[in-house]
This record gives sequence, C-alpha cells and structure tokens, in this order.
Amino acid sequence: MRELDDELRHVLRRESPPAGFAERVAQRAAHGRSPRRLTRWLAAAALVAAIAGGLEYRQIVTARAERAAGEAAKAQVIQALRITAGKLQIVRAKVREVGS
Amino acid sequence: MRRMLCATALIVLAAHAAQAQDITIPVNIDRLSAKAVESVNVTVDGALLQLAAKFLSQSDPEQRAVKNLISNLKGVYVRSFEFAGPGEYSDADVDALRAQLKAPLWSRMVNVRSTRGGENVDVFFKMEKERIAGLVLIAAQPQELTVVNIVGAIDLDQLASLGGHFGIPKVDAGTVHK
Repeated sequence: MRELDDELRHVLRRESPPAGFAERVAQRAAHGRSPRRLTRWLAAAALVAAIAGGLEYRQIVTARAERAAGEAAKAQVIQALRITAGKLQIVRAKVREVGS
Repeated sequence: MRRMLCATALIVLAAHAAQAQDITIPVNIDRLSAKAVESVNVTVDGALLQLAAKFLSQSDPEQRAVKNLISNLKGVYVRSFEFAGPGEYSDADVDALRAQLKAPLWSRMVNVRSTRGGENVDVFFKMEKERIAGLVLIAAQPQELTVVNIVGAIDLDQLASLGGHFGIPKVDAGTVHK
C-alpha cells in the first residue's frame, strides 16, 4: 500500500513547464488566426474590385448609349435640314421662274 | 372692382400665353404615316438638339456650320409622306396646322402654286424683334406631303451655306426672302 502511494505521488507531482512554453503557445495561437484574416482581406479586395468594375462597366454602357443617341439625333437634324433646304430650293426655283 | 381687374389680367395673360405657344403638328398629320408608302418623322427638341450639337465636330467646317445653325434652335419637327396615289390625304388634314399660323405672330412669306405639277408650297415665318423666330413649311403635292416646323431663331443665310453638303441642295436665301 505504501509503495502504491509513493508511486502515485511521483506520477502526480507538480512540475514547471519547460522554458519558452508560454511564448510557443501564444505564437501558435497567432499563426492559427492568420488564414482567416487573409480570407477577409481577399473578400474585401474582391468586393472593391467588383464595385469598381461595375461602375466602370456602367460608365462604358452609358457613354455608348449617349453616343448612339447623339449620332441618331445628329442624323435626324441633318435629315430635317436636307428636307427643309430641298423644299426651299423648290420655292426658290419657282420664285425665280416667275421673276424671269 | 378688384375681381374684375383680376379677371381681366388673367384673360390678358392667358391670351398672351396662347399666342406665345409653339406650333404643334396635329395628330391627323401624324396618322397619315399609316397610309403612306414612305414616311419621315423627325422630332428633335430640347436636350436631344443639344446632344446632336455635342456630336457635331467643331473642327470639321461642314459640321461646324450645322452646329452654328442649330445652336439657336429649340426644336426641329419634320413629317414627310409619300403616298401610292393621289387622294390619300385632304386639305382638311393640314387645316388644323394652318389654323395655328395666324397673324400677327405668323406671316406667310411665300406661297407657290403650280398647276402643272400640282405643287403647293407655303412658307410661314414667325417674327420676333425683326428676327425670324420660327419657320413652318407646308409642301403639298398630289402624292406627297411635307410639313416642317423649326422652332427658334433660324438663320436662312446659314441654312443656305449648308447647300451642297450632307446631300443638302443649295438654297439662295435672298430669293426666299422675296
């Protein structure tokens, strides 16, 4: 019985942690968090890039639509002036005919 | 007495507003496109006119001339129809437009009637402070009808200067003024 007591006391004795044990634990804990942080940064960067890309695309589409509308309006104005000038030409010819 | 004065002022203002109102192309003219074999419908006003001016190059002399011409315009409206045969439209279709072109605001400067080709062209000008502030042209032929309404200060010399460019025939502005 005495032998068993001694053996238990020996196994369960208090022992100090080896030198640098606390630092090593803290370091491992820090390393364990880093991939999650990187993922967050990557997600944020992807979001910013997506927003910037979306804005750029919207600008391109708006500019393209504006150009198309502008060119169509320009063509319409020229067509209107062509018709007006053509009719005024008839008037001019008739007036000249009467005058001569 | 005060009520009477207010009513009179309102009547005067309403009459003035009606006089200042721009010409509108009647709906029955627009409806003619259904009967026409070919039709042109141009409606360019306000922001669209400014946009057109933006796309006319300042460095190109021809485009610059158009740009200058439209810079004082508020609207350009053209309806032109070509019909398969005569009798597809009547004078009554144009009457609603003619009814708007009344003196003293509007004056018919030119009226050309040709019995040979059945051509009938009327040119009306709206004068403001001795300047042309609007032009309406009605050109009627048995198989063709063209209505032009230009709102704003139109310079006929500038219009004439466009002749020979963009397929626009040469116009002698001086003769039209006669």
